[in-house]
Amino acid sequence: MASSSSVSLSFLLPVGPADSVCYAPRVREKPESPLPSAALDHLDALFRLARHLTGDDADAQDLVQETYARAYGAGLRFGVGSNVRAWLFRILRNLFIDAYRRRRNSPIGESLGDEESADNAVTLEPLRGDAELERLRGAVAEDIEAALASLSADARTVVLLDLEGLTETELAEVLGCSVGTVKSRLSRARAILRTRLLDYAR
Amino acid sequence: MECTEARTLLLAWRRGTLSAPLRAALEVHVPECESCRHDDAADSALSKLLERSLPRRRAPESLRRAVAAKWDEPYAPRLSRARAVARSVGAMALGAALTVLVLFGWHARAPGETMVAEAVSDHLRVLYRDRPVEVESGGIHQVKPWFEGRLDFAPAVSFGGDADFPLQGGSVGYFVDRKAATFVFKRRLHLITLFVFRAQGLPWPAVASEHIGQARGTLRTSNGFHVLLWRDGDLGYALVSDVDERDLKTLASKIPNGG
Repeated sequence: MASSSSVSLSFLLPVGPADSVCYAPRVREKPESPLPSAALDHLDALFRLARHLTGDDADAQDLVQETYARAYGAGLRFGVGSNVRAWLFRILRNLFIDAYRRRRNSPIGESLGDEESADNAVTLEPLRGDAELERLRGAVAEDIEAALASLSADARTVVLLDLEGLTETELAEVLGCSVGTVKSRLSRARAILRTRLLDYAR
Repeated sequence: MECTEARTLLLAWRRGTLSAPLRAALEVHVPECESCRHDDAADSALSKLLERSLPRRRAPESLRRAVAAKWDEPYAPRLSRARAVARSVGAMALGAALTVLVLFGWHARAPGETMVAEAVSDHLRVLYRDRPVEVESGGIHQVKPWFEGRLDFAPAVSFGGDADFPLQGGSVGYFVDRKAATFVFKRRLHLITLFVFRAQGLPWPAVASEHIGQARGTLRTSNGFHVLLWRDGDLGYALVSDVDERDLKTLASKIPNGG
């Protein structure tokens, strides 16, 4: 089973604690902001995904701050009528993956590929009988969080963003794949989550 | 249909978002396939578990303040002295105009905007309460009687929630200048607030094109929240949430004609 993946994102930030981070010069030079202020409405959902991806409050806050900083800086490339929610989640996911790739290149790094391989290696079998179904129903918050943390980053992302109410089209935009692939990824990710939950909800 | 394909469609099937041909194929396959039936039961249990028990964290206030502060920073390029003076004069004029707008804003807004803004603000107030409801739901026949003696009207709502939109409970609140019955429903992880209030004397939107039972309503979006407003007899209804528009309309279609 894949282990919970917590990855430090501190290198994303210049210096100092999260509350005192400054991203100033490169974004202040832009002549105008075409971004809707509604982008801030997604802060809680972005934080929840970041928290599940990083496994750490401080890293999650860094990741969300960097997401908004990148969105702000790239605002001129954001087209009118584009889906700001999917766009923000895509930035966050890509930042997280970049952080992972850098870590992979370090001597002690683990890679997203390892996680994906672990997910793909899971043999999915239907639950056996009502007893297992009852065990699944009896899982508590800690079991769910532990089981989620054992999934690959993209499996976690697709399950959580579906739960946040993103459409399959939005999920495809976030993950950079087709809607058909989203369907199969979501189905498989939920099946793996059910299997893992049975391990944790004992 | 093969089991592998069927299993990728079960979630959309339960949510009612499958196309008619796929739904028909699934409705033939699943009843005959014990394995898929069991898979569907397990996945349905997972949905309920995630909606009920997965902690729904909010971003820390420090993060909210930091992001909002950066977002509000002006993109404006540096101005020449002359342009800066012109801009100051313009800002003063704008300030004066805003003062007038604030003083007379209620009447100056387009019809319906005040109600949309009010609905979003009231919905946020519900979300930010420690306990969004004052009476927990044991069904509509427990929630509706609770309003007796607390309101000077009977909220006509017969829908008591279902698997897609479970009723969380109710409370008494205010909508603009009057008391309102507040019902809170859930859709996956999202809360949906329904306000029911006396309709008379409010600045209703001029155009109402959404079909909600026998009534006609107006759908607006404000700050990422969808708001459905409609009148039915003497009562007004405002349904607010950040769920998908389709979900909001689906719930709205179940609410009217209360008895």
